[in-house]
Amino acid sequence: MKRIFSVIAAASISLFAATSSQAGGHAVTIEFGYPYAHLFDTTYAKIMKSFEKDHPNIKVKFRATYDDYEDATQVVLREAVSNSLPDVTMQGLNRQAIFVEKGIAKSLEPFIAKEANFAKDGYHKAMLDLGTFDGKVHGLPFSVSLPVGYYNMDLMKKAGVSKLPTNWGEVISTCKKLRAGGIKNPIFWGWNITGNWFLQSLMWSQDTPIIKDGKINLGGSAGLKALEQMKAIFDGCKMKNLKWKAALKSFSAGEIAMMYWSTSALGAVERAKGDFELKTYEYPGFKAGPLGLPAGGNSALMVSQSKDPKVLAAAWTFLKYITSGLGAAAVAETTGYMPPNKAANDIILKDFYAANPNKQTAVRQAGLLREWQAYPGDKGLAVTQVLYDAMEGILLGDHTDMKKLQAELQEEIGDMLPK
Amino acid sequence: MIEKVTKTVDTLNQAAGLKRAENRAKWVSYLFCFPAVSLMFIILLVPIFVAGVLSFTDYSLGNPDLNWLGSKNYEVIFGRSSYQKMIWATVTYVVVVVPISIGLGLGAAMLINSVGRIGELYKTIYFLPVMAALLAMALVWDLALHPTVGIVNQTLRLGCGTWIEGLFSFGWLPWVDGAQSWYSTSCADEFPLWIGDRDYAMPTICFIGIWQAFGFNMVLYLAGLTGVPRELYHAAAIDGVTNTWDQFRLVTWPMLGPTTIFVVTITSINSFKVFDTVEALTWGGPAKSTYVMMYAIFEKAVKENLVGFGSAITIVFLFFVLLITFTQRFLVEKRVHYS
Repeated sequence: MKRIFSVIAAASISLFAATSSQAGGHAVTIEFGYPYAHLFDTTYAKIMKSFEKDHPNIKVKFRATYDDYEDATQVVLREAVSNSLPDVTMQGLNRQAIFVEKGIAKSLEPFIAKEANFAKDGYHKAMLDLGTFDGKVHGLPFSVSLPVGYYNMDLMKKAGVSKLPTNWGEVISTCKKLRAGGIKNPIFWGWNITGNWFLQSLMWSQDTPIIKDGKINLGGSAGLKALEQMKAIFDGCKMKNLKWKAALKSFSAGEIAMMYWSTSALGAVERAKGDFELKTYEYPGFKAGPLGLPAGGNSALMVSQSKDPKVLAAAWTFLKYITSGLGAAAVAETTGYMPPNKAANDIILKDFYAANPNKQTAVRQAGLLREWQAYPGDKGLAVTQVLYDAMEGILLGDHTDMKKLQAELQEEIGDMLPK
Repeated sequence: MIEKVTKTVDTLNQAAGLKRAENRAKWVSYLFCFPAVSLMFIILLVPIFVAGVLSFTDYSLGNPDLNWLGSKNYEVIFGRSSYQKMIWATVTYVVVVVPISIGLGLGAAMLINSVGRIGELYKTIYFLPVMAALLAMALVWDLALHPTVGIVNQTLRLGCGTWIEGLFSFGWLPWVDGAQSWYSTSCADEFPLWIGDRDYAMPTICFIGIWQAFGFNMVLYLAGLTGVPRELYHAAAIDGVTNTWDQFRLVTWPMLGPTTIFVVTITSINSFKVFDTVEALTWGGPAKSTYVMMYAIFEKAVKENLVGFGSAITIVFLFFVLLITFTQRFLVEKRVHYS
């Protein structure tokens, strides 16, 4: 009896498989995961509409979304242990290295080699560099953000400030004017953003990486200058210790005059803000503008465990589709991120930026794109926490001697990184 | 003779049969216990053992291998200042939340017990925070405690310059300078950031913990109070105990002994396990002032992948909880006569 059942079951399954593959013309199914549902759900909905039309043979199965970049890393690392990886996953730009180190992410070089018009599709070097490890491209950036200045122009005018600051000295003097004008909360500088992004922004502003040849690079004059500049902003502006979510709320409520944060929040801020004029402007530098800025955002990694060349080819097609052309343009249209793709920015989105000048600030800074560096080794994430604690200590006034702090950090982090 | 022999053989056979049956029954009982015992081993004891072994290594999630570190993880926990702050924060939370939430729970239970029908209403209201998911409630608190647009500071600010400020600055007390009071200085300057301020973060987290826990303790005590026989009060009255305090001290409190052991144990363990509010509100900050053990385990083992180190904190945590539970049982049980 049992046997008959299983025979029938097997027959019906194979029959079903045969009919379904006939209907789809040998459809290939790939699996895909991405973070930040509230930012990207609309983006993928838009992309999938045209993707399904252009590639009817590829079925994309969406896995449960990751909460954030940290969660994304956790989930995929666990899936690697349990052999249940998706084919394509979106990971934070600074979390790519860990997957390359552990051998989970596949090199994309063999696929790129087969593409004739790869450069013409809008992939340029600065962008490919963000996902290149050991000279091999492993990830294609999907959405890229840069730090920008958000200004509440109504408050600025109220305090008699008409010129937006271009360097940190001007920022601090503007703070003083704003305070004199009765604005209790002149600034929020996003030190607590994920992955020490703003500390790295002060380092890259001097064109210096925070990690050099796998070693922590805070010990030099650039490191000291970054820490001292941060302290000068905190002290000079009497900045409050707000959590970033609270700060975004305060800014949207029209209480903070200047906010330095990722351009990715622009969409959310524009939706939530009260009745005031919002302007974004280039991120300030030390003297003139910054010499470089860390790129935030996420990139697509191929982590497929499939041996089937058809599945791999489908995964590559999907990966390429979302990072170029119409796919990339959808990123700018639905979020505050910019697509790191030249063709999308220059051609498809030309009119869009004219209509949305606040979203263009980051695009104007695109030439400054530098790597958002990850700290190597198993304790990389713990290093992020050490630097976070140090910055919080500066803000709370626990650390007053930056030279001493610099020496402590250089030593402590030096111990944590692989020798 | 033959008869006799067969009889003995029979009895012998009977005895052997009985023994066999007894043995079989023994084995069957073992067999019946087996699923429960093996599940207990697999689900409860083996993971603790694995965590114990991992705590001596540097295992990181996704790594193919691990290195034996010896006691290095433990040396870090007891040596570094941030982990000393962790133990300090956890102990502070437990020491503040346990007595206050138990005291309030007992007080509320006695009050509700003494009023008639309206008690049901109070019971429901006080029990509401227990029914709500703490994580969801933490998000509500996050909104309410926002430094400028949150309802807490908004409300406090409304009172500035009115009779409310006059009342709560306590300037009407002859020995208090109203202008120097907390309320007046906050009005003149700004109200605290609450969870963003090192001095206020821990008290705020404790407040939420008490708010959440006391309703549960109240219900446990209400159950305990129904078990106190009325006759004891009558007997006490005959013996000359008439005022309420003496009734409480001599009858109610001793009779609630078993309930109290249970409430103290449960509340202590729950306080040790505080996590949701910290994760939703402060992330262990500012300056590690709310860096409780559960959050530290989460941060190290889950957020930073350092499974080995996280296991070491887990073992320390387990040790603390066991220690507290055993001392409590030992100390309190000695004094309880009615359990």
